[in-house]
Amino acid sequence: MKKVIIALMMVAVTFGAMAQVSLNVLNYQQADQAGYQEDVQIWQDFQTQNPDIKLNMEVLFNDPYHQKLQAYAAAGTLPDVFYVWPGARSAVIHEKHLAKDLTKLLGTEYLSHFTGAATNPKNELGGYLAELPQSFTYTSVMYVNKKAFTDNGLKVPTTYADLRAAVPRLKAKGIAVMMLPNKDGWPGQSCFFSTVAGRMVGDKFFNDVLAGKAKFTDKPFVDALKVVENFYKDGIIQRTDNAIGYGEGPGLFAQGKAAIILDGDWRTGAYITDKASGKALISPDDQHNYALMNLVALPGEKFPGVASAVAGTGWAIADSLQAGPKLDAAVKLIKYLYSPEVQAIRWGTGAYVPTRTDVKPPAGLEPLPSLLPAFYAENSKTCYVIDGINGLDPTVATAINNGIVDIGNNAKDAVQVAKDVEAAFEAAKK
Amino acid sequence: MTGAKRIDREAGRAYWFMSLPAFVIYIVVMAFPIGLSIVLSLSDYSGGKMFGGEAWHIVGFDHYLRAIQDPWFWNALKNNFYIVLISVFGQLPLGFIFAYIIYRRIVKWPGFWQGILYVPNIISIIVVGLLWQSIFSPSGPIAQVVNDLSTNRFHQQLVAIIGSQGHLNLSDSAIQAVLKLGGPDAPNMFANPIPDLRGMIQAYPSNQYGVLITDLTNLLLQKWTPTFLNKPNIAMLPVLFVILWMYTGMYLILFLANMQKIDTQVIESARIDGANEGQVMRHIILPALSGTMVNSAILAISGSLSSFALIFALTGGGPSRITEILSIYMYNSAFLGQHDFPLANAIALITVIISMLLIVVTKVFESRYGGKED
Repeated sequence: MKKVIIALMMVAVTFGAMAQVSLNVLNYQQADQAGYQEDVQIWQDFQTQNPDIKLNMEVLFNDPYHQKLQAYAAAGTLPDVFYVWPGARSAVIHEKHLAKDLTKLLGTEYLSHFTGAATNPKNELGGYLAELPQSFTYTSVMYVNKKAFTDNGLKVPTTYADLRAAVPRLKAKGIAVMMLPNKDGWPGQSCFFSTVAGRMVGDKFFNDVLAGKAKFTDKPFVDALKVVENFYKDGIIQRTDNAIGYGEGPGLFAQGKAAIILDGDWRTGAYITDKASGKALISPDDQHNYALMNLVALPGEKFPGVASAVAGTGWAIADSLQAGPKLDAAVKLIKYLYSPEVQAIRWGTGAYVPTRTDVKPPAGLEPLPSLLPAFYAENSKTCYVIDGINGLDPTVATAINNGIVDIGNNAKDAVQVAKDVEAAFEAAKK
Repeated sequence: MTGAKRIDREAGRAYWFMSLPAFVIYIVVMAFPIGLSIVLSLSDYSGGKMFGGEAWHIVGFDHYLRAIQDPWFWNALKNNFYIVLISVFGQLPLGFIFAYIIYRRIVKWPGFWQGILYVPNIISIIVVGLLWQSIFSPSGPIAQVVNDLSTNRFHQQLVAIIGSQGHLNLSDSAIQAVLKLGGPDAPNMFANPIPDLRGMIQAYPSNQYGVLITDLTNLLLQKWTPTFLNKPNIAMLPVLFVILWMYTGMYLILFLANMQKIDTQVIESARIDGANEGQVMRHIILPALSGTMVNSAILAISGSLSSFALIFALTGGGPSRITEILSIYMYNSAFLGQHDFPLANAIALITVIISMLLIVVTKVFESRYGGKED
């Protein structure tokens, strides 16, 4: 009898194991930021709701994530589901077609629940929908501490002249007018100069450069760099900001060290209440004193009101997955992650405003992230984020990153930086 | 079969039995990656599945050429040479001198000093990088001390200018003097510097004179920041200092351990014969340690060329790449932006070649000028 029971148990275990599909997932997750607890819960809920799918999760963040993804790609062992950037950061995935085309896989009916910008394949490096952007990201947003201005008898700035006028009064009180933590190099380009360039030269200029009809040393581009020079020269941005790491910015801004910080829209999540600790960099009550604004009007701008924006990050499925239970499980996971419920949770953590259109605003959304939809509505004119321009070699974006740092450090002027960028462009062409 | 032959065969089998696992591990873990690195550096591999994916081909030395034509390569190489120089001509001599002082008990509590000098070696490299980064930062302790001192002085200068006339009746020349204190960029903060500043100063009621002085200090004091560290050539100085601080202790231990093997009777005899400390060092210790020195130099050179973590944590190669070294240049080529593995591997192999050349030079130098240890 004992033997029969053991045999039956073994059969049950074997069939149980056979029925369960294993999915390897490479997740991008930051454990020390508000929203982590909710994110963990999202994955646990999927696992509970789908006992037939076993998730083998690997969690990484920042550069280690990209290196691991690259290594997996080189070894031909990409996980089944992974997180992808729309541009150069995940170039190998797009260029080598290592992810499935989600337009075909998910179908137009399903994708009709998303904004056109999210499902437009032209917004991705490979020209196909390798990942479904969860958000459409505005990379240069002014987070404005309105109280810092009004307390010092100043109006909230909307023009460059307003910013300049605020320098003496705010500086006298030990407050910087605008903070641009640029030690890492990329924020100067992504969170500031992309919009400056969009305003001063427009997207057409970059298209012309790529077509060989314009050069980075042309006057309009040099003038755009001179705008950056003036922000530092006039004391609006402190040169010492070049020694502040990107991660340090929100803390210093919340402490009142600056009246404005330049950052991406994704950073609202850094200021809201962390469910795990119950603490917020800016308390929900104080968040009413803050505004999200487009960069102020610049002197000599040709394209007023544009703001740099790019398709956001999202989930992808390995191209190597063949039709069958595993692919079905991967699609099920993707659809769960993009479901209105999960997207509402992510919205509530301040991570982004979803590109999925039928997501209801989550209850209890804190004031700062709740400003985002209005910000998007008011700033519909967008321009390139330079490091996301298809066809522009990343080394050119790096040269611009370095150039903005050099201008900030007063190590080079606009003309010299323009020459460096053009040289990088010419070198990349070869 | 003779007994001797049987023993030979058994010894051969035992030899292979014992060495094969290590040999296989060496092939898999060391030889294969090196071989692959050489192949990749000569190829047009552009990412994706390496074996069985998109075909890639051998294209020759294109990437080596690309590397040496890139001005950033030469910048990184120059920085690496600075590190080699500080290692060979900084860490080694200092390590030797400290070891000698401790060995000959020229200082009190030699064990204490040995420990103190070795401590930086046992701290995590990343911690060391972040520690010194905060020390050199614009809000770090050095800047803070300097700024506290200059704030007091600035206060006094402001009081001297404003106090004599009273802040409500300042003359144009007094306003100009206040502006001048703020340096050449101060007038940029105002549309009309003199009237605007006067208006601002006069807006403070008489009973807020102290607040005025504090606010003017905030506004006009040019805070000292170590911005000179952003200049090419100078930016490497703090990096070199930290490298010197961190690794000198390691060579101290190496030299000290070898000095302790020298027969003390030889030194005592020399001293009895009238040799002074300098002569003992020159004629006994130095020749006895020449081999150790060469080995240390090899360690220093190869370590310098392959160093990565400390500088990555300290500066990340910035600002704007001026402290980049070959390993960071290689890392950025491989993992940042559009991944360029062939170029990264070419940089790695050029580093190896340079490292080997320097080691050969060291060995030649030792064979020509070195002493005998035995």
